Amino acid sequence: MANADAARPRDWVPVERRWLGLDRATIPPALVVLALAILMAVVVPAVDHAVPGGTRVRAGDEVALRGGISFVPATGWILTDGVLRGREPRAGAGSTATVTDGPVALTVRTAPFTGTPTALLEQIKDTTDALNGSHGLHITGDVQAVQTAGGQRGVIARYRGTSSDGAIAAFVVDGTGVEVVVTGPPDVPGDPSAAIAGMIASIAPEGGAG
Amino acid sequence: MSDHDTLLAARTAALRESGWGEGFRFVQPRNLAFWVYLLLVGAGAVIWLRYASTEAAAYGEVLIVATVLFGLYGALFWWFTQRIDRYAHQSRKLIAIAFLWGAFAASWAMAANANSPILSLWGKAFGQAWSIDWGAGLTAPFTEELAKGFGVLLLIALAPRLVATAFDGFVLGAFIGLGFQILEDIQYALGSAGEQFGANAVDNAMSTILMRMALGVAAHILYSAVFCTGLVYFLGRPAEPRRRGRGLLLMGTAMLLHGLWDNIGGIAGSTGYLIPLLWVVVIGLAFFTVTRAFNLSVPRERSYMRAVMAPEEAAGTVTAEELDTLAGDRSVRKAYRKAARGHADRRRRDHLLEAAHDLADELARSGGRDDQRVRFARAELARLRAGAPR
Repeated sequence: MANADAARPRDWVPVERRWLGLDRATIPPALVVLALAILMAVVVPAVDHAVPGGTRVRAGDEVALRGGISFVPATGWILTDGVLRGREPRAGAGSTATVTDGPVALTVRTAPFTGTPTALLEQIKDTTDALNGSHGLHITGDVQAVQTAGGQRGVIARYRGTSSDGAIAAFVVDGTGVEVVVTGPPDVPGDPSAAIAGMIASIAPEGGAG
Repeated sequence: MSDHDTLLAARTAALRESGWGEGFRFVQPRNLAFWVYLLLVGAGAVIWLRYASTEAAAYGEVLIVATVLFGLYGALFWWFTQRIDRYAHQSRKLIAIAFLWGAFAASWAMAANANSPILSLWGKAFGQAWSIDWGAGLTAPFTEELAKGFGVLLLIALAPRLVATAFDGFVLGAFIGLGFQILEDIQYALGSAGEQFGANAVDNAMSTILMRMALGVAAHILYSAVFCTGLVYFLGRPAEPRRRGRGLLLMGTAMLLHGLWDNIGGIAGSTGYLIPLLWVVVIGLAFFTVTRAFNLSVPRERSYMRAVMAPEEAAGTVTAEELDTLAGDRSVRKAYRKAARGHADRRRRDHLLEAAHDLADELARSGGRDDQRVRFARAELARLRAGAPR
């Protein structure tokens, strides 16, 4: 018996130790690792998807963004990303916020930018085109001027993507670039354009929203 | 049994127990761990390549700069980690397997899938602000340390004789962490390239690269080394008695350090000056912990070196001082170097020590048998001792 063990090549698995041709001793650790991978890649995202989230916007709410920018989200929309003024994290507000109304979403992103709103829109277009290629959003209409209620001047353009239409607006407020992306399916029930226009018009430096 | 026979038996036992010098064959079709490893590393590599090719279209220059700089940075850590594995050397092939696990499977096929959904769940449960302050520190230590650490479970199943001690867990964990860290650093560099809507991409990425290089010394490499040392203690190995308490303490400490690091922004809040102070404190704690884990686990490796080389000392191939230095810690090595009389003597003594290491490795490879390479290694030692030219 001992001689047989000594003569056995290292990679030889005796027949009585096999299950479906595999070394039985290797099955439990391999399955534990596979189970963790499935938990992380499948189960956790599914749970997140199944749990409803977001905060319903109430009258008077104001979304705070990094760079001292804020905007007033439309009442009744759902804030799915970002924080409300007065409830900022200790580390400060983040640079993105998203509010949704059914399939329509409005995302605002802020970052340092020193050029004009037109240059910012061009920069956003170049980066989006490079990252998404033919699958990305393509500006279809003319670029038009837009102004917020507080007098901040910006530009806005309509775009068309493979599965959604919308608009991109760009502002530069005191050295902070503000990108607004509105997305939604081509045929949206109801007309959210007034609510969207109101939110864009409310973009302002800290304390000046509305 | 003569003293010499006793020493030889101890050498054989040490080699058998430690797996030092054992060959490693990666392709093992009858091993399910091999297939799971291939699946997860392959999936992670495909996901990363798709991500990198998309980013390259917009930030190709940043991708090249980040890959080159973090590649050099990683090479430095690779050299250092191999250097501290100076006793019963780990298989280089297994080290490469560990690195790839950290780089592709642990990050891109596992933890990256769970991090965002868990952060989102924290936000749904406690609000976005709470999630921004504390979510990362309560997510990544679990997803990332488990994803990296579970690689060691596969490595044990792939090479049970090569993962024999807690120190093997330390070394393999460090390389898993290194793989994870390099690809995460590249991802952070690419992420910061888009910070200003894609403008000034290289400048933005460079500040992130320099920051990650400066602060990354106490990140994934250290956490994983400590976690995987703890995992081997927790599981126990034939050459390492099971110590569940110690194992849990080390794994928990690695996760705690990771959590503290990720929550520094939340802890400091708007008190900006606290952030660098907390960096120093957490990095200090991380170095203290990794040094403790190293000092706890390395004595067994030193005892293997002593057992393998003791018959050589008895036979006069190496001196007692050289044996003590081979199997000793940093202070012993320092004393050995200090005992040299002048530059030439120090150089000669360094060469003797390196040649003795060569002999130990050859003995491990041959399983303690006197084959041609072992005899040549001994002859090299004799030549150096006599001061004969090559």
